[in-house]
Amino acid sequence: MTLRLRWSSLSLPLLLLLWGWVMVWSTASGRLDLLLRSVYHPIVAVGGGLLILIGLLQLRLLLRRKRAGQASQTLPRGWWLTALVALAIIVFPPQPSFNDLASSRPSSLPEAPRLAFVLPPEQRTLTEWVRLLRTQPDPSLHAGAPVSISGFVLKRPGEPAQLARLMVRCCLADATPSGLPVLWPEGFDPKPDTWLDVKGKMVTQEHDGALRNVLEPSSLKVIPRPERPLEP
Amino acid sequence: MARLATAWAIFQGLLLESLPFLLLGVTIAALARWLVPQAAWVRRLPRHPLLAPVVGALLGFALPACECGNVPVARRLLASGAPLGTGFGFLFAAPVLNPIVLASTWAAFPDQPWLLFARPLGAFVIAIALSALLGLMGERALLEPALLEERRLTQPLAEVGLLERGSGVLGAAPIPISPRPSSQSISLSDVLLHSGREFLGLLVLLVLGCALAAAVQSWLPRAWLLAVGSAPTLSVLALMLLALVVSVCSSVDAFLALGFAAQVTPGALLAFLLLGPVVDLKLAGLFTVLLRPKAIAVTALAASLLVLLIGQWVNLVQL
Repeated sequence: MTLRLRWSSLSLPLLLLLWGWVMVWSTASGRLDLLLRSVYHPIVAVGGGLLILIGLLQLRLLLRRKRAGQASQTLPRGWWLTALVALAIIVFPPQPSFNDLASSRPSSLPEAPRLAFVLPPEQRTLTEWVRLLRTQPDPSLHAGAPVSISGFVLKRPGEPAQLARLMVRCCLADATPSGLPVLWPEGFDPKPDTWLDVKGKMVTQEHDGALRNVLEPSSLKVIPRPERPLEP
Repeated sequence: MARLATAWAIFQGLLLESLPFLLLGVTIAALARWLVPQAAWVRRLPRHPLLAPVVGALLGFALPACECGNVPVARRLLASGAPLGTGFGFLFAAPVLNPIVLASTWAAFPDQPWLLFARPLGAFVIAIALSALLGLMGERALLEPALLEERRLTQPLAEVGLLERGSGVLGAAPIPISPRPSSQSISLSDVLLHSGREFLGLLVLLVLGCALAAAVQSWLPRAWLLAVGSAPTLSVLALMLLALVVSVCSSVDAFLALGFAAQVTPGALLAFLLLGPVVDLKLAGLFTVLLRPKAIAVTALAASLLVLLIGQWVNLVQL
């Protein structure tokens, strides 16, 4: 009985320590790069550090005052749920399918480009290209421009595959895709979620009765998912 | 399987992003409890049906956090005996009326100054209307039982009888009551213990809310919601549904709204920015520490109706 009571009183600081550890570890291990916009990473780390501090303080107070036996309240069941979730977060890392996520969401209209105009074409990222093409809708302006970008293959049902990136304002919950149409080489079957490094040039193509820019690759290389795959 | 993995990642993203704000809210509530245990000033706040929610809403400037962090602070306000209107005014309007949210709205829509005025104004209107409506239900039907018990301990016996306090009912099961405010200051260990329990209690509900939001997001294509963007009424309804489902914090929802601002009507855009901070799937669990289920349902319905009317009116004026 004493052991159960002691455990129930210790559970509070231990759970706070566990959640603090989850937050700090998620930041330090780079997992947050897959989940949140980078501006939030320090906030999560500081929150985790604060939780660890509170947990340690509680543990110290508990041990110093020998109050372990006084806490006769039973452990709320929900607390066990939070412990299981914390352990599951540690054991099962996030492995989102960007293709799956992007397929169910319409492309957003990103804000006007800032650096995209002054950057040489081959230094523009995929997102900067998408922004540029939407604010400068004359396709002939960019025809022949060299392109060197990376992204994942986005294959929406009933549409040709695109090269895409996910943009987040906050976390994966609000991620929206920005994609570029690609003239895939004959016989090349782009697999959804595959990350590709593509070099080539921008060309024009007629689509639904209007001209649009399309990326024509000269080289395609499969690459691992970047460490920071989300773009602001 | 891929969808499940994606839902798990969305869940983790939502939860880890919300946790620091929840902790901030619990910390502020704990500090308030420790530094001003009697919280006499809280009970001196105006009780006027119009003034009380306005004062509560303005308190939001003291807590630059999103709606997750507001719940524990609103609970502490109500438990300390604050007028209902002030508590609800804070709960419903403060997630919009705080410097960070107003700044992010301005940053996201610098070319639409009307939104910078319409959003806080709409939040005020909703907070006042909801406070008035919920006030009609009476505390007993409105507040969650444990909160009601704690609140009654702070009220003078002239207003609440001994039996109503629930502390001496013969034959009734003992009710666990949180440490009551006393004339002596509360020790740090008590504050730490209480805030730790409060944090974990809210965390359980936040976990459930995030799981629900992640599941709905993963299995409900967002394109369906935005497909009706140009229809005045349907677009407002669609964006309201989107706000309920997405459950992002009010401090960043303006940037999310920016992504589809060009595809929807102005009224729908405002509806998205007004409803999310008051009601969403992530908050559904957290509200249970404050309100009874019936009161939560009334809040959700009334807020949705008000936001729909505001959105419609904006469309009528702007279109």
